[in-house]
Amino acid sequence: MDSLAKKILYIDLNTKSYEVKGETELTEYVGGVGVGLKLFTDYKEKDPIIISVGPLNGFFPYASKTSIILSDGGVIEDIYIGGTLGSRIRFSGLDAIVIMGKCNDKTVLDITNENVSLKESDVDLGTLGLPGMRSILAEDSKGKLLVDRYFTPPERFLERKLKEKNVHALCITGSKTFDLKNKQKYEEIYMNIINRAEEMHVKKSTNPSCSGCPMGCEMSKTGELGGNVLVHSLVACTYAEGIYSDIGVIFSCLNVLGYDYTHEDLEKLPKLIDRLLKEVEA
Amino acid sequence: MAKILKAKFPEKCIGCELCIFEMQKQLNKMGFEGSTIRVLKKPKENFDGLEYSIVLDPQINKLDIKKIKDICPTQVFSIEDQEDGLIS
Repeated sequence: MDSLAKKILYIDLNTKSYEVKGETELTEYVGGVGVGLKLFTDYKEKDPIIISVGPLNGFFPYASKTSIILSDGGVIEDIYIGGTLGSRIRFSGLDAIVIMGKCNDKTVLDITNENVSLKESDVDLGTLGLPGMRSILAEDSKGKLLVDRYFTPPERFLERKLKEKNVHALCITGSKTFDLKNKQKYEEIYMNIINRAEEMHVKKSTNPSCSGCPMGCEMSKTGELGGNVLVHSLVACTYAEGIYSDIGVIFSCLNVLGYDYTHEDLEKLPKLIDRLLKEVEA
Repeated sequence: MAKILKAKFPEKCIGCELCIFEMQKQLNKMGFEGSTIRVLKKPKENFDGLEYSIVLDPQINKLDIKKIKDICPTQVFSIEDQEDGLIS
């Protein structure tokens, strides 16, 4: 993994254009809510929706959510959704997607890795992306916004914002693979985490589960709102807080993936995020 | 007799994709491209939840299929004998 730069996809709906940039100055924000808030602060005047993942998404169990930052009537909201969206973004090679501006007509955003195609709203969503590697965010027949036709965002902040921007649906396909540099160590850490299921604050069940989570819990369907900033910078499940608020575990995971974060970097993250929140709300 | 992996109870699948990640780990990578397992989802007929179908490429049987079977939290897979290219 390239730990020096976060790869950000910027989509400008006004000009129907996009570009991908590597942003080294975002590294200290780790991912998820940290990177999302920093990008929101930088592009605040363009009323962005920031969709982001963390460095562990797709690689480690229970790191299975997607972070979304937006302004709802001037109030900054951080929300987290389950399903397969996070792993698709991770394997698209992106760390975050910034959606700015507004479409003139109802539009569907079809993103495959670093490429974006804007399509008319009557497109058959089933024809977009690659089955098994895609995640679709769209309304159901009752007008409820769903990821993968099951997982819901909390409240209706995202639904309202997408409507304001005339974005009818979003399909994200991730078809990249990443080599494991230290397979033996990675496997050891991976299995250690997966075997900590008893530390999850939910019970195992048989509901549709998020990608990379064996729980199938009754809470998988429901999105999350706010919470522990370290967990949400990794974009792990809030019910895995017992595992992913352990700095030693996080450090091991990041290290084996090739990220060179230090304990100090992780410890200062809550203060960095707190400063961003004050800045954006000023 | 050759052993093969079979998705015997696809109705138990919860879509966690741990089977995909396990098989890719065995190939020293992570991601979905080149996976010999595909987990496809669609809403149930009564729209109450999702149902999954699992597509296995026969190439998967060159991997450690016991580890793939064992990682599944809902025991979707079985390992069966293969005779003359047919599942017994």
